[in-house]
Amino acid sequence: MTKATRDISALQAAAVLVSTIIGVGVLPLPLFAVRAADTGGPLVTLLACICALVGLMFVALLGMRFPDESIIQYSERLIGKWPARAVGLCVIVFFALLTSLTAREFGEVVVTSVLKQTPVEVTVIVMLMLAAISARNTMTTFAYIHFFYVPLLLVPGLLIVALSLKNAEPLNLQPIWGNRPGGMFDGIVTIAALFQGSFVLTIVIPAMRKPAKALVVSLYSILIAGGLYVVIVIAVVSVFGAEETRELLWPTLELAKATSLPANVLERLDGAFLAVWVTAVFTTLLSSYYLTSQSLTQLLRLQEPRIFTFFLVPFVFVIAMVPANIVKMYEAVVNVGRIGLMLTIAYPGLLLLIAVLRKKGGSALGR
Amino acid sequence: MPLFGNRTHLQSRRSRRKKRTAGDAGTSTGGDGGGSGGGPLDGRLDELLAKVTHVFGTDTTLTVRKFRIFGTYPAAMLYFPNMLDQNTLNETILKPSMSVPTGLDPSEWSAPELLDRLASEALWHSDCRRTEDFNDLIEALLHGDTVLAAEGSEAALVVGTRQIDKRGIDQPGTEQVIRGPREGFVEPLGPNIALIRYRLQAAELRTRQLTIGRKTRSKVVVCYMEGLTDPDLLAEVDRRLGGIDIDAVLDSGYLEQFIEDNQWSPFPQVQYTERPDKVVANLLEGRVAILVDGSPLALIVPTVFNQFYQAVEDYTERFMQMSAIRMARLVALVFSLVFPAIYVSVISFNPELIPTEFAVAVAGGRAGVPWPAVVEVLIIEISMEVLREATIRLPQQVGGALSIVGVLVIGQAAVAAGFASPITVVIIALTTIGSFATPAYNAALALRLLRFPLIIIAGIFGLYGVMIGLILIANHLLSLKSFGVPYLSPLVPADAEGMKDVLIRGPLWWMKRRPAFLKPKNPVRVGSEMTEPPETKSRKQEGAHSPSTEKE
Repeated sequence: MTKATRDISALQAAAVLVSTIIGVGVLPLPLFAVRAADTGGPLVTLLACICALVGLMFVALLGMRFPDESIIQYSERLIGKWPARAVGLCVIVFFALLTSLTAREFGEVVVTSVLKQTPVEVTVIVMLMLAAISARNTMTTFAYIHFFYVPLLLVPGLLIVALSLKNAEPLNLQPIWGNRPGGMFDGIVTIAALFQGSFVLTIVIPAMRKPAKALVVSLYSILIAGGLYVVIVIAVVSVFGAEETRELLWPTLELAKATSLPANVLERLDGAFLAVWVTAVFTTLLSSYYLTSQSLTQLLRLQEPRIFTFFLVPFVFVIAMVPANIVKMYEAVVNVGRIGLMLTIAYPGLLLLIAVLRKKGGSALGR
Repeated sequence: MPLFGNRTHLQSRRSRRKKRTAGDAGTSTGGDGGGSGGGPLDGRLDELLAKVTHVFGTDTTLTVRKFRIFGTYPAAMLYFPNMLDQNTLNETILKPSMSVPTGLDPSEWSAPELLDRLASEALWHSDCRRTEDFNDLIEALLHGDTVLAAEGSEAALVVGTRQIDKRGIDQPGTEQVIRGPREGFVEPLGPNIALIRYRLQAAELRTRQLTIGRKTRSKVVVCYMEGLTDPDLLAEVDRRLGGIDIDAVLDSGYLEQFIEDNQWSPFPQVQYTERPDKVVANLLEGRVAILVDGSPLALIVPTVFNQFYQAVEDYTERFMQMSAIRMARLVALVFSLVFPAIYVSVISFNPELIPTEFAVAVAGGRAGVPWPAVVEVLIIEISMEVLREATIRLPQQVGGALSIVGVLVIGQAAVAAGFASPITVVIIALTTIGSFATPAYNAALALRLLRFPLIIIAGIFGLYGVMIGLILIANHLLSLKSFGVPYLSPLVPADAEGMKDVLIRGPLWWMKRRPAFLKPKNPVRVGSEMTEPPETKSRKQEGAHSPSTEKE
């Protein structure tokens, strides 16, 4: 990366993370949670948040040690050129996969619930093009985009939750640790994988005005985004009950369907909710796509960062079309997510350990 | 009598020369400001006059008036009589230079110093300068000044006699207010600068003049506040203006198209205004104003989006009421962009969103309409655009009649004919009125334009498509910059001080600092004592002291 302008405030960085984390994953989230530990879903989600926070803190701490570089760059100094490049390539491939699966997942949601006659290819390519066009912007604009959309993500989510409260039954939430806590670990891993977009922090830090704030930023963003996750799971489980939730493909969408605005201004909210949710999916998609293309240019040491923005579209699109149907797609989402945790939590953890042991990199806290 | 004779003689000489030069007019480089005879003056009057007449060729309006200064020294006065007041010329130039002033003995004056002494001791005119460059002299002539040249002097005097007829200062046509100043800019530069300067009597107000336009040689003035405006911004304005190389600058709009950041954006990145008070307010926020001679519209840079729904009255009227009205304006602005698109997508894709009774009513209204909602909306929308354009272009007397015919008769008839549903007509009417509520015409234009792609994408993808369209527009706005300032400031990037003037208009004593995104060198604009209106403060103090005062 050439001399980047350090223009991003801590607030904007937090906005990037929040809007990246909140995405299409929110729609099936209660299902994942309930599958793992029925009424213990909220607890599972909370634990997953903590798990994701740990991973994000590794990235943040690494970023503070190497405030001018992204993980692709400093990993070479830590574990040697070729091993770092190999893992870097894995990271890039993983985020390309994540991008395509996000696009596919939302494409399926749209095709299933609103545009029933539209082929899924169309919705997927529309979302990908939207991300590709916007990924041509500079890092500063990238942060502005996320910052601008954060209210659009939080308000509808919280609104749906608030409106559904009248149908809520607190008894549905008990026992809070679930009826068979054994499956919890699986659920934690699956849900923690929904947070992986936050890995984008690694390319945000080099553009931050004060990289030393990265740790605080990651803490707050997980607090906000994870808070929304937990609240949504609580709302869904308390309204539908664990057994009913298990039968729903996208419980959050069903929650929107079950609520209506006071005074009957809008009779059903699912269509409107889905429309607004386009922005949430877009920001997630933009982050992973931006991360992919930026990392690729860094790996190949290219000067022009926008070179891959359109070049990647066909590849990502083809990958998105590989799963045959929704069921296969969700299998892929879960499996890819779990493997991804190795890259987004274990790998930064390892790098951090090496950095501490080898005493590489300065401490940004000292600045 | 000799004066008169002299003049006819002169004119006949000129007409003779005219005939001579007419032949080689084709080869002369004429209009380029004297390409043929550029360079310094050499002191020979005949030669100079020949060069000047060569430059202007067969043009008949140039007048060369030969006379003798103080009856001794041969001299000539050149001017375009239509661009100045001849009485002034007679009184302030001709008379003092022909009759010897009392107490002076001009017989000792030598030829080279003649004009200088004339200027400093005899001429009764304030705007007088010396030039030794022929091109400068031609330019001055074209500008409407008078050139005084004398035999034996290697310089000429340029006397600023320009006086162009102008219309009176009247109410700005496009930016009317109920409460606020009624003055608007006029075309000539001079009065416009006066309008600014009398409002802003500060020594820090600076004007910087440039000449742009190869043929029109238009005077362009950049106004800013010294010690307040960001110097980087000024340098950028200078750089962009300096790069302009065109034939004609007939209006400030020509310049706008050369200095804006992104020519392909539908959104205006430069604000224009014909209100001097608005210019002053913007100068004091740290912006730069650009005025062009001949244009009643000043440009203001940098411009951010929120300026397009702010009106002068927001500041002259009390803050609470105007905050509410500003919000209404904002709603109108959003309406004018998305209303038809949302209507189309709800009707065609998501009728379950609206209450059932209403959905049934809408369906009933659309019963006889043969085409899908998107086509219907597009047809009505396009006819509305046609009507609107026709109303603007027609002479004023006919315009009123047309708009009544257009809106009432056509709308009613279209519904009766089963051509459009009543609800569509209502939606389009609301949209159109909404777009009129945007104070800035150029911003309203942008939203008007963007409405059409949104309607089409709504017809294809429904609400999902509308969102995609809006995201594209929002991302474009977020990436847009005006002279380096992000277009959506102070919303994004967030600036707490600036936010007091975005959705609402905060009380004046509340907005202590100038907008930070303009990087003013002196950020404070309200005295530190002004935490609240003086009235409230004094009442509070009275309250505090009241027991003691009562005792007395």
